[in-house]
Amino acid sequence: MRKICFHFQISQPYRLRRYHFFDINKHHNYFDDFQNSYLVKRLADFCYLPANKMFLDLLKKYEDISLSFSISGDSIQLFKEHAPEVIESFKELIATNRVEIVGNTFSHSIASLYGKDAFMHQIKKQEKQLKEVFDVTPVSFCNTELIYSDEIGEWLAEAGYKVVLTEGARHILAWKSAGYLYCNPFQTNLKVLMRNYNLCDDITLRFQNKSWEHYPLTADKYLSFLNNIPHDAPYINLFMDYETIGEYHTKESGIFDFFYHLFVQIAERKELSFMLPQDVAKEEDSVLTIHVPWAMSSSSDEKDTNEWLGNELQQEAFEQLFKLENLYKESKNENAKMNWLRLQAADHFAFMSTKWFAETSVKRNFDVYPSPYQAFINYMNVLNDVKLQLEKKK
Amino acid sequence: MKVLMFGWEFPPHIAGGLGTACFGLTQGLAKNHVDVTFVMPKASGDEDQRKIKIISASDVELDTRYSDYFQFHKEISYVEVNSRLIPYVGLDDYFNVINQKESGLLEDVKVTEKRKYLFSGTYGANLMEEVKNYALVAAEIARNEDFDIIHAHDWLTFRAGIMAKKISNKPLCIHVHATEFDRSDEFSRNEIVYNLEKEGMEAADAICAVSDLTRNIIIEKYGIEPSKVFTLHNAVIPHQKEVERVEDVPYKIVTFLGRVTFQKGPEYFIETAKKVMEYDKDVRFVLAGDGDMMNRMIERVAELGIADRFHFTGFLNGEEIDLLFGMSDVYVMPSISEPFGISPLEAMRAHVPVVISKQSGVSEILQYAIKVDFWDINAMADAIYGILHYPALANFFAERGKEEVNSLKWEHVAKKLKGIYASLLPRN
Repeated sequence: MRKICFHFQISQPYRLRRYHFFDINKHHNYFDDFQNSYLVKRLADFCYLPANKMFLDLLKKYEDISLSFSISGDSIQLFKEHAPEVIESFKELIATNRVEIVGNTFSHSIASLYGKDAFMHQIKKQEKQLKEVFDVTPVSFCNTELIYSDEIGEWLAEAGYKVVLTEGARHILAWKSAGYLYCNPFQTNLKVLMRNYNLCDDITLRFQNKSWEHYPLTADKYLSFLNNIPHDAPYINLFMDYETIGEYHTKESGIFDFFYHLFVQIAERKELSFMLPQDVAKEEDSVLTIHVPWAMSSSSDEKDTNEWLGNELQQEAFEQLFKLENLYKESKNENAKMNWLRLQAADHFAFMSTKWFAETSVKRNFDVYPSPYQAFINYMNVLNDVKLQLEKKK
Repeated sequence: MKVLMFGWEFPPHIAGGLGTACFGLTQGLAKNHVDVTFVMPKASGDEDQRKIKIISASDVELDTRYSDYFQFHKEISYVEVNSRLIPYVGLDDYFNVINQKESGLLEDVKVTEKRKYLFSGTYGANLMEEVKNYALVAAEIARNEDFDIIHAHDWLTFRAGIMAKKISNKPLCIHVHATEFDRSDEFSRNEIVYNLEKEGMEAADAICAVSDLTRNIIIEKYGIEPSKVFTLHNAVIPHQKEVERVEDVPYKIVTFLGRVTFQKGPEYFIETAKKVMEYDKDVRFVLAGDGDMMNRMIERVAELGIADRFHFTGFLNGEEIDLLFGMSDVYVMPSISEPFGISPLEAMRAHVPVVISKQSGVSEILQYAIKVDFWDINAMADAIYGILHYPALANFFAERGKEEVNSLKWEHVAKKLKGIYASLLPRN
């Protein structure tokens, strides 16, 4: 029987406030507390809590159902501060034993694009937090925005991970299908699950698109899509932002009903079986190697890393940020150290993107800057202060 | 397609941006195979006529036996206006370049049936009289020329356009480069100019506005039907020579260039300077230009105690402007109301990063510029500080900004205009 793997990502960052150059070395509160609190509470009410409740009901009703989540460390911190009930509700899900928590970076970091040390540090910090909060030790890994390369895969294998979730990028797969199980060419014990992004985009991008030929999308219609892909490929991997349910598409759009019926139908028809990423860890048959020489990601159509490092501003900010790595290691200023980690979030870099000025990406919903330049200036102001703070208490 | 175009000035003898814009537009139209006959009050004869035909209104003989001459003469009441009449907001301070003596040379050459008017073509004291007579001459020209469309630039020529329309029954397109709302505050607004503008807008079959900002003013403040108002952003005439960067400047230089008047927001530039200077000792602010707020600005700078690092240059000529651009690290245009604003484009062409107010028309077409609200001194200071201190940003703007400006071509503007013309012509 073909297997379907649902994975939802949560990666809310600490959003920066407007931090002026005359705040440097005077004020060290970089984050927009109001905005962060408001957004997390709103997301909790519109998405996380009702969606968790829906999935809990489904898990209770159908014992075949399983699904997985990755929740960044920053998101967990934000929940602790502003919506602790979200954490409790995830604990209930985990208690069913059919919900897998997948590892990720602590602060939705793009450290994997910089180097091993910084990346490993992020992973370990997140593992520690997942152990403390949910008492779980992840065996699968979902990197920030599904960023992956052969080298990143090797680091993950070294860190003890067995499975990695990434994008089924066309330029990598070429004629191959995302519906097979792959492995890292150098660390063959690391299984690679590749996302079927077309099927995901049908939901995340097109669910409310009235000019789309398949609008309105129903669970039955979606099942027919699943049925239409060649049956010899054993896996269907659907990874998406959890905010798809209730935020990108509001309750009124019918997104909850869609997911509810989708899960019910899959469970009842028994043509597909639910699968967790960790289930493929021990798989040995029919595993193919996949070469990813350069980092790819889930970003827009190009599936490259240009959304975060595409222009000179982003590259400069990135370089200046990771220049502080040694300072971070030496510093004893815990507050400043935490802030350095938070500045690694992909979101900060995406706000500096000039790739498409009138970006239509869903992530732009959370953009607070009038232009990529102001995002850059603000970020650099904060970074300069973080640097000063790290230097102060070596 | 043939266009009869009324302007007030044309290079090489220009006082501001209006003439430059007219030149660019006519060259662009020529490239789009539109024939232009350009009428101006007083041509000097050294205008570039390779692509268009120029008529000097001063050389036109008027046949006073036509009855509409007298009728129109009666309609226009003679008005003496003493106000700040700036038909186009450009870099230069007009009143410094205009030889006031030259104006007022309105004289009858012959007092017979045929009569000629001599225009100064400047913006002097007898401006209203000239505007009126220009309209009379326009009627004569419209009677004799062959054309499909009439196009009139700014309020000075609107009456001429209306007159030509009355005589020929051809569609009239007017071009608004600035409105009375951009030239004045609510206390100094000139009722006569406003009325002339409104009259032109109402009579026109199509209105071209130099920005969405101006388009909105036309719709909201003049009560014009939106469907006939089109935004037609300005472009840039390719530069003949590159501005050279001046090396070895010991300080970072932040520049303001323009008339020192209320609309240009010089006081926001000064307040911003104070903020930046407190944190950066190596920066100098330069305010170039002259205007009625000059004294107040000098006083304010003294009051803030920054006079040692804040410089007033007064009015600069073209070469001096290039030199200043060559030394500048940031160009700031904090205008409160700017129909278009060509100066940031000049700065960008000289590889200078620009910070411009959102209340300017040019901000609608620029991507490689930092846009802030004119009143938001903190944002303006952040932008300036960012450009001065994060070289990646300055380099980014220096490179991309120049490319962007070079891509703004009159040819493209004229193509759009040709489309507007076509919509006015009867379908055959």
